[in-house]
Formats: sequence, C-alpha cells, structure tokens
Amino acid sequence: MDAIEAMATVHGRARTYYEGEVRKIVFSSGLGQVESESDFDPITTEVVRHGLNAAADQMRLTMIRTSYSAAIYELLDFAVALYDTDYRMLAQSPTLPLFMGNLNFMVEAAVRAVGGPENVLDGDVIMYNVPYQMGGHPQDGGVVSPVYLDGELLGYAAVRAHVQDLAAKEPYVTDSTDVFQEGMQFPGVKLYRQGERVDDIWRIVLANTRFPTSVAGDFNAMLACLRSGREGLLRLVERIGKDDFNQAVQRIYEHGARVVRSYFEQLPDGRYTATGVMDGDGIVDETVPFDITVEIDGSTVRVDYSEVPDARGGPMNSCFPTTVAATRVAISMLAGAHESPNEGLYDPIEIVSRPGSMFHPLPPAPSYLTDYMGGQAVEVIYEALSKALPERVPACSSGDVNVTIWWGEQEGAEEPWSEATIHSIGLGGNRDADGASGMFHVVAANMKLVPAEVLESRLPWRVEGYDLTPDSGGAGRHRGGLGQEFKVRVLEDGFITAPSERMRTAPWGLDGGLVGVPNTRAIQYPGSDELTYFEKVTAMPVPAGSVLVQHGGGGGGYGDPAERPVEQIKDDLEDGYLTEAYVRRYYPQYSFDA
Amino acid sequence: MATRFGVDVGGTFTDLLFYDDETGELHVAKQPTTPASPDQGVLDAVDVGIPGDGLARSAYFLHGTTVGLNALIERRGAVVGLITTKGFRDALEIRRGDKGDPYDLFWTPPQPLVARRRRLTVDERIAADGTIETPLDAAEVTAVLEQLLAQGVDAIAVSLLNAYANPAHEIAVEEALRAAGFTGVVSLSHRASGEYREYERTSTAAVNAFVTARMSDYLTRLDASLTERGFEGRSLITRSGGGSVPFSHADDRAFETIMSGPVAGAEGAGELARRLGLGDVITADVGGTSFDTALIVEGRPKVLHAGDIEGFPLQTDWVDVRSIGAGGGSIAAVDAGGLLRVGPRSAGAVPGPACYRRGGTEATTTDAAFYLGMLGLGELSSGLLLDREATERALAPIAEQLGMTPAEAAVGIIRIVTANMANAIRSVSIEQGRDPRRAVLMPFGGAGPLFGTLLADELDMDEVLVPAYAGNFSAWGLLGADLTASSSRTHLAMLEESAVDGIAAVLSDLFEEMGGRFGADPATAEKIAQVDLRYAGQEYALTIDLAWDGTQVLDAVDKTARRFAEAYVAAFGHELEDPVEVVTVRAAYRSPLPARKPASSATSEQPPADRSCRAWSFQRQEWMEFAVVAREAIEEGRPGPLIMTETTTTTYVDAGYTVHHGAEGTVVLRRTPRDA
Repeated sequence: MDAIEAMATVHGRARTYYEGEVRKIVFSSGLGQVESESDFDPITTEVVRHGLNAAADQMRLTMIRTSYSAAIYELLDFAVALYDTDYRMLAQSPTLPLFMGNLNFMVEAAVRAVGGPENVLDGDVIMYNVPYQMGGHPQDGGVVSPVYLDGELLGYAAVRAHVQDLAAKEPYVTDSTDVFQEGMQFPGVKLYRQGERVDDIWRIVLANTRFPTSVAGDFNAMLACLRSGREGLLRLVERIGKDDFNQAVQRIYEHGARVVRSYFEQLPDGRYTATGVMDGDGIVDETVPFDITVEIDGSTVRVDYSEVPDARGGPMNSCFPTTVAATRVAISMLAGAHESPNEGLYDPIEIVSRPGSMFHPLPPAPSYLTDYMGGQAVEVIYEALSKALPERVPACSSGDVNVTIWWGEQEGAEEPWSEATIHSIGLGGNRDADGASGMFHVVAANMKLVPAEVLESRLPWRVEGYDLTPDSGGAGRHRGGLGQEFKVRVLEDGFITAPSERMRTAPWGLDGGLVGVPNTRAIQYPGSDELTYFEKVTAMPVPAGSVLVQHGGGGGGYGDPAERPVEQIKDDLEDGYLTEAYVRRYYPQYSFDA
Repeated sequence: MATRFGVDVGGTFTDLLFYDDETGELHVAKQPTTPASPDQGVLDAVDVGIPGDGLARSAYFLHGTTVGLNALIERRGAVVGLITTKGFRDALEIRRGDKGDPYDLFWTPPQPLVARRRRLTVDERIAADGTIETPLDAAEVTAVLEQLLAQGVDAIAVSLLNAYANPAHEIAVEEALRAAGFTGVVSLSHRASGEYREYERTSTAAVNAFVTARMSDYLTRLDASLTERGFEGRSLITRSGGGSVPFSHADDRAFETIMSGPVAGAEGAGELARRLGLGDVITADVGGTSFDTALIVEGRPKVLHAGDIEGFPLQTDWVDVRSIGAGGGSIAAVDAGGLLRVGPRSAGAVPGPACYRRGGTEATTTDAAFYLGMLGLGELSSGLLLDREATERALAPIAEQLGMTPAEAAVGIIRIVTANMANAIRSVSIEQGRDPRRAVLMPFGGAGPLFGTLLADELDMDEVLVPAYAGNFSAWGLLGADLTASSSRTHLAMLEESAVDGIAAVLSDLFEEMGGRFGADPATAEKIAQVDLRYAGQEYALTIDLAWDGTQVLDAVDKTARRFAEAYVAAFGHELEDPVEVVTVRAAYRSPLPARKPASSATSEQPPADRSCRAWSFQRQEWMEFAVVAREAIEEGRPGPLIMTETTTTTYVDAGYTVHHGAEGTVVLRRTPRDA
C-alpha cells in the first residue's frame, strides 16, 4: 500500500479501486460524511471564522518579518496554516497558492512518524520534508507543533518554507534521477522536545547546507511563526470555549463546502478532457503530453489524473500532495467566492490518481520540479473547463513562475551568496478584460519582485532593466498580458539553475483568441554579441561580464482579434504595447492611413 | 497667544474646532463637505463656528483634508510625465507584480498613474554605491521634454535608479528641464525619499507630481480667503506621518499630506495620553464606513515608514492606523452559505442606515444598535429622530434567513462587528509585543463610544476612556499637531563601532537638509534620531531610537544592539546571535505648538432629569432598563447600565461598568471587578 493510502485514512479520505489490473485512488477532503447540517449559532461561527483567519495571518506576517531569504519574504515561497486534530484545515493565510490546502499531508505524516498524537507533547516541534507525503521538494522545510489547552490537544500549527539548501546535489536541480540527489530527508523527527531544542538534529540540519546562516535564520523564523500560531489559536479557543469552538468549526467547514457546491450545481454536468505538455522531464529531451479530465457531477467536481504517463526518470513528477494542491487552487480560485480557505472549500473536490504515474510518483522517483507540474495542471484544468464554460476561465497565462536560482562565491565572504529571482509574465485574456501584464502565474500569484536597487545593494550584479515586452501577449478581443524581460549583468563568476517550463509550447488562446509568446532564456557571454538560448539547466556557470536575459512570456488572447475595437489598438500603439508590424499582421481592422 | 482652530474635511462632514486661549473654551461646528470645492465647506464651518473676532485672534489654523486623496481616487490631477533610467520604464506599471486580492482569479492592478506613452527614459546609470557608471546627457533630457510637452504634460516626476545613493543625475535632470524652459512641477524621487526600492520611490514621486498643483492651488485659495476674513496666523496642514507642516510645504511635498483624518485622531489620543500620563492606549475610532485603530506607546502612535493609498505605495512616514470596513453604516447580509456577514459594504451617509429614513433599506450596524436601545431614545443632536419601524423592516429579512428573532439578529450584528474590531486591535498591539489587556481603550468618532464597553469585554480590558469632544476628536487632535519634518536615507552597514561615524554623518546631512523646510526653529526643536536595524540577512527591520546631541551619536553600539534585541524579543518571542545590520538612518524635528489649557470637566448647573429606555445588556444577556443621561449631568461613580448622551456621540455603558469623571474633561468607564 502506498504511503498516501496508509496515511489518509481519517474519515475514509482515500479509497483504492481497480480498473482491470490498474490500481487507482480516489481522494477527497477530510470533511467526511455529514450526518445532519449544523444549526450551530451563525454569529459565533462568524466570530470564530474571523478569529482563525486572523491567527493564520499573524503567522504569515511573522514569517515575512523574521525570515532570511528573499524566497520567503518576497516570493512568499512558504505556507502557514492551522489544523484540527483530524488534520482538517482550520485556516490558512495567503502565501504561495500552490502550497494551499495540502499541509494536511505533512502534518499527518509528521504526527504518524513519531507514533501518533499521543507521542506529540506540548512544546514539541516535528520536522518533516519527505516529498511524497508533503509535496514540494526536500528543501521545503516543514515544521509542525501541537496546540494544547489544559492538557488537551486542540490541533496543530504548521509551516513549510523553501530554505536555500538542504544538501541537494546543487542548490536547485533540474536533472536529479532519484530523491537522494534532491536533498536530505527528515522523515518526522523532533526538532524540539517539550520546548527544548534537540541540538543533535539542529546541528545535522546546519551541517547539511551550503548556506547555514540563512537556513538557521529561516528555521528560526518558522519557530517564531509556529509560536504566534499556537498563541493565536489558544487565545481564540479560550475566549470562545472548546465546545462552542468545535461546533463553530464544523459549521465553518459545512459553509465552505456549500459555497463551492453551489457554484458547481449551477453548471451543467459533463466530462471534459484537455491535454497539457511539459517541455521535458529534465533528463530526456522530449516533450511530455498528458491528459487531465474534469467531470462536473451535480455539486461534485472530479479531477482525474489517472490517464497520465508513468512517473518519469527525471524530476518532472508531481508528488500526490502537489497534485491535490494544484487541483484545490484551480477549483477554489474559481468557485470559492473569494473566501479565505478552510477544509470545507475542498469537500466537493474528488481527485483520481494512479500510483506510480507522473502525478503520483512513488519513492525513490525524482520529483524536484513537482511545483512546475502543479502550475501546468491548473492551466489544463481551466482548459478542460473552457470547453464547456469559456466565459468562466481565463486563456492560458505564459504558464510558469520563471524562477532563476543564482549562487556564487564572493571574495572575503564566509559563505557563498544565493538568490532567487522571478520574472513576471502575461496572464491570459478573459471574457471581461485583457490579461494583466507583468504579474505571476495563478499558483504563484502573491509573489513580489525583489527591487533592482535591493538586489544591487547586496549582489555583484547590475540589473540592466525589466521592461515589458511589446507584442508578447496573444491577440484577441481581449489580448493576453505582456511578459517582462529581466536583464542582469553579473560582475563576478557564479552559477544558475533555471527550471522554467512552457518554453516549447505557446500559451493557448480562448474563444478565438490567439496564442501568446512562450518563455525564453538566453545568455550573452562576455565579449560576444550573440545571445545563446537555453532551457532547463542545473548549475550552469555564468562567467563575470555575462548578461542573462530572462523573458517571461505573454498570455493567450480571448475572443476573435477582429472584434478588438480600433480605439484600444490605437492606445496600445501609442503606449508601445504593440508595434506597428504586429498590428498590421494581427489587427488588420486598424488603418494606419487615417 | 495660542488661540487656534482646526478643520478636518472628511468624506461626509467638515468638522471645525475653535479653541479660545483666553477662555479655554472650545467651539464645535459641523458642516456638510462640499466635494466640488472643499474650501467652501471649510469657510462655511469657519463662518458658523468661530465666534466674534476669534478668527483675527487665532495664531494657528490646522487643516486636515482629503483633497489629495480625492485627486487620486477620482484620477483628477496633473498630466504627469515620468523620466526614468533606461530599462526601468515599466517599473511603475509592473509594480512588484503581486496581486491585490489573492483569491480573485481575475484581479487586475489599478491603471498606472502615468501612462506608458508618458514614461520616457534617459541613458544614464548610477551604481548602488553611488558611482556614476554612465553619465547623463543633458541634451537627451531636452529631447525627452519635447516629447512630453507634445503630450500636454504639466508635471514631471523624475526617478532614476539608485538615486537614493547619489542624487546628482536627478538634480541634473531638473536643471536641464528648467534650462529648457519647463516651469511646471518637477518631483525628484530622492527628495521624496532617500530610501531604496525603486518602485515605491517612483510611485511616491509620481503621486507627488500628480497631486501637487491641485493641492497647492486649493491651499493658496483657502489661505487667501481666510486672510480676507481677517486671519493673520499661520496655516498648517497635517502629515500622514503625524504632526503638521506649513501650507507652503505642499508646493513640493504634497505626498506627505495625503492621509489626514485617521492620523489626527491617533495623534490626539497620543497628546491626551501624554497629558494624562497614561501607559499604553488603544484607539477605537468608528465613523460611518470604517473602524480605525492605533496603538499609542509612551504617548505616541507608532509611525511606519511606508504607506499605501488607493493601491499606490508611498515611501514616507505613515502613522500606523489599521482600518477595517466596519462602521456605523456597514451593511449586514446573509451570504450564500447561510452565515451572517457585516461590511465591508457600507450605506455611507447616503442612503445611510435604514433608521435615518434617507432612502436606506438595508440593515446596518447603526440599525442594530438602535434596535437594541444602544442609541437611547434615538434623538440625534442634528434633530434627527431615528425611525424604529424602518429599522424593524430592515432587520426582518435577515432575521428570517437566519431563523432568529430580530433582536437575536441585531445582537449578532453587533457581536460580529465587535469581534472584527477586536481582531484588528489584537493585530495592531500583538505585532508590537503589547498586551491589549494592559492598555486603556480610547473610543471616539461618531460611533466609537457605542462600542467602548463591548470591546473592553471582548479584549479583557478594564478601562475605557471617552475623551472630551469624542465625536469630533479628530479635529481636537488637529489642534495639538506638532510642527514636524522628517527625512531618511538607506545606509547599509554592520552595527559595529566603525559604523558610528557613518551614521552620524548621515544624521548631520539629514538634519541640515530638513532645516530649510522645517516650519519652526531647528535650534529649539526636539531632534529625533533613529536607525532601522535587522539581523544581517533579514529584509524587515525594527526602528530603534538613538541619543543624538546634534553632532554625534551618544549611545554605545552595544546599548543600541541590546535595545534592538529587546524589541525583537517583544515582537517575535526570541532573539538570535547573528550580527545586526543598519539599514536606514532616520531624522526628525518636532516642535510642539503652545500648550492648550485642559478641557474643563464642568457639569451643568441644572442637570436635566434622567430618562430611561429598554436596551440589551451584552453583559447580562437580557433586556434591561438603561438610564439615559446627559454627559455633563452624570454623577461620579454612577454604575451602568446607562446611555450617556452628548452633542456629537452616544456612549453605551453596559452593566458591570461604573462612570467616573477624569481630568481634561474625560469620562472613564471602569469595569467592576469580576468577583465583586
């Protein structure tokens, strides 16, 4: 039995069945069967809901204010949440959307690893980072701590954050062939026992990173964050009383479920399949197509990943918790009525997978690029839904977060430097508007660019610019948003890892809209005038004097370009979003003679 | 001579307070705001509210206005051109790439204040250490100016990369613009802010260019009209970061004056806390559409160094007032999932709460309060009689959807609003490591005192202090605004002995630069020196005070480091062993206006007879008979439940609290010890 099945037993969340010889798993939220709808006091329920969200938000702010790496304080590559004793999500604060709603796996795995809740004592902190039961990669350090009130377990505070390095073969990898090259695994070990740090574990962590100062700082930030989460939850439950709190929580879950169910109830039933394409798996140079089917069945939405190819030999595999999170992001962004998430929002969602496939890899399959799969999955889910409901979803965005991880030795410094940069993209057009320019993919939507002035103040860099790229969005009645061209001249030797996707297939348009421009990356070596284009690379040397040009692509267009009003085309020309040559080709309705 | 008047222009009303130093009396006036020409509303209030020769005797006019804010909201300002470094044309549009609503799939950012066609670049470059790598060519500036003029630009913002480290090129651009004959507003980013982060600094310069002419015209016109009426004193306008600056300041630093009302209230609370010698104070300012709260420590509200208005960041001082959409006009509704939600939608002044009978039909916080008897007999000072039937009609559908009685629904609305307010208070205090249970709650604004004892219950606080003129307290706060100037510069260095001279040099620069624009005499002003510190490797910093004698830093480095560690422990629960880094150096001048006499606690000679009404006691969970008593008639130590009335607000005193008269005309509601 796969660890996911073994683990996800509370309320019968995971169910195995066979289709012929093929074993499949259906997974749904931990809400379980509701016997009768709660009629608990709606006023106290609303008070508790706000209180939980406020407590989760304090956790987020504490992380941002105390962390040591830009990946956390600007890119928000972390997640914070509160869980009940059945591993159901009480509240989560908005950070990286792709980490939304799947910390339950990590919390449950961590608790089971130490022997169950009875072995989790007040003041304990458990560290966990095994990707198959957590999602993400081993560098996403996770910590969990219990919340006790008067000796009784109330639930858990949990945080997971991308630290700069935990002994992967390089600080970031696109070419691993098993999990052991991707970092050191901490399969549920106590970092604190009843408030006392277990120094043996702490020293092992710091001995296994290239950047001990930053990693120690980020783990300290996670500990401060857990403390604020515990205190917030305790304050709330003490005020409300445990019985009322529990009843309010049940009603909160039911409320969340009702919001999402009412969205799907209004839509016609049906099954819709779309095909996504990964550029490659990091090892074999070939594109990897895969099909996802979305089925609307009354108020339930079923997303089926069971027909995708087997797990790949390179790290382009999506660990099951990532698959779950991508699905939950896609559906709750669409149907969640802008609500802060709780377990209830996920109740109407069923996820079908096939253990051993690229959306449910088994150990020791490599999975370092798991999150990039999640990003594509969201686009494919929307593309499938667009077949029935083009007006409800946007056209494809340029499809990737476009992260670059940089590092190098700086003369005189005790530790190497390391930095993660992101390059914003164009979003897809939609029924009501052009796609936004210079923003981030839906799974990374809260990320913030690090200012060039901050980068230059601490790194041997000149940022040469980050202008929008004209003509990069797909044409349409509502055109796709424009991507950004981020150019950096490096002043000292260093390395980069670049994991971008969607460099080989263009972002699709919708309802007659045209495709956008894919992501590209190039380097101009010192003394050369030429741009050398490249795709996924790991630890590529970047000699001093090189210029890196990272181009975030544009979004797909929405609707027939012939329907775009000429006044808008004129504005785009005057603002330089479109060039004359482009307009002549794609918007012939515009006359340059007038 | 310190007779003075303050006028706060809000979205709905223009409030005036006139303080007569000869008698110690305060006069209050309220006039409708006149959005088309706000100066008219101000003059109306002056004509109505200042008796006799009061205007001619006034030494100061203190003004808070939403003119700049409205210019941004309505997008009615200058046609701005932006000159920036080649490669950074789109910094203003891309922002930081983040999303305003994390759960909205279709969220799009606000249109940039300067359209792309008017964002032009020059080929120049300064490095992070201030070195000039590519010199500026003045001829290029002239060419850019021509293109901007052809597009009707009348104000120009200039924001060049790393100008915080070396402003030479920005200054050269301005010189070139002037040499080429440009006479409009020029807003240089380094003058607005000496700190790094190009988007935020560019946004500040662009906002400044956008609002300056409108603000400056308005203030000039207003000043002239007041002079015509015989005013000979100084006209001051409030800063978003606290204190005030002369009107003339708005000619080139209008961005400092964008946020007024909420700040004046927090500043007033600070002044009152200092005068009364209070410890921590938490404000609860409730108006029609929002709840604003601030934490006052040692008599001052916390000042942040970044603000945001209508989605545009401002890199400037910003009093830390947290705002949520929960006010008297917040609308209650049952959502699709069957839960009761209150706000952020508001009925505002028009159509207003249902009980006002001005066209509102949806139940608001005010309707719930009125239904529960919290507004006493429903007689507002304006003469408006609240309408019970209209309230019942508005509450009925909500009660029905919830399966509750109207009273239960009304109690629910008040509980939810109170809990939301309490969450905001917790976040503003806990983030700074302060325990709200040990603070005094100071409610004000039209609806603040309604929530005083409810919030105290929710937050476990023992004392609620209702200031004099509670309903106009923001205007009262204006009357005490210190003359202020502040300046800052990003200055990265490890906090070591060797860094001290560098910090001192920056401080000297900053104080000198500010001296010229400071509205009072720098020689006699209080000088405030601070550094932002963090553990090396972090991004976010804490601001720590330094002792400064005008030429050197008096604190030893280890003392500063210790102070940082203490602040860090208070905020985050632990300290680290890592080295500490200086990020930003800050300097400010502050010069208080002459002190006012304390407000009197006089009671009227013939207290009107007590009346009473039925009202809901949240403490006792039952309907009770509440006395309705005028504030000036209330006897010392009187126990609740009661409703205390005054001209501009109503105070709900639940059972379990007693009323006491404090200094400065305050009323203190004290919780009866629980075991008593």
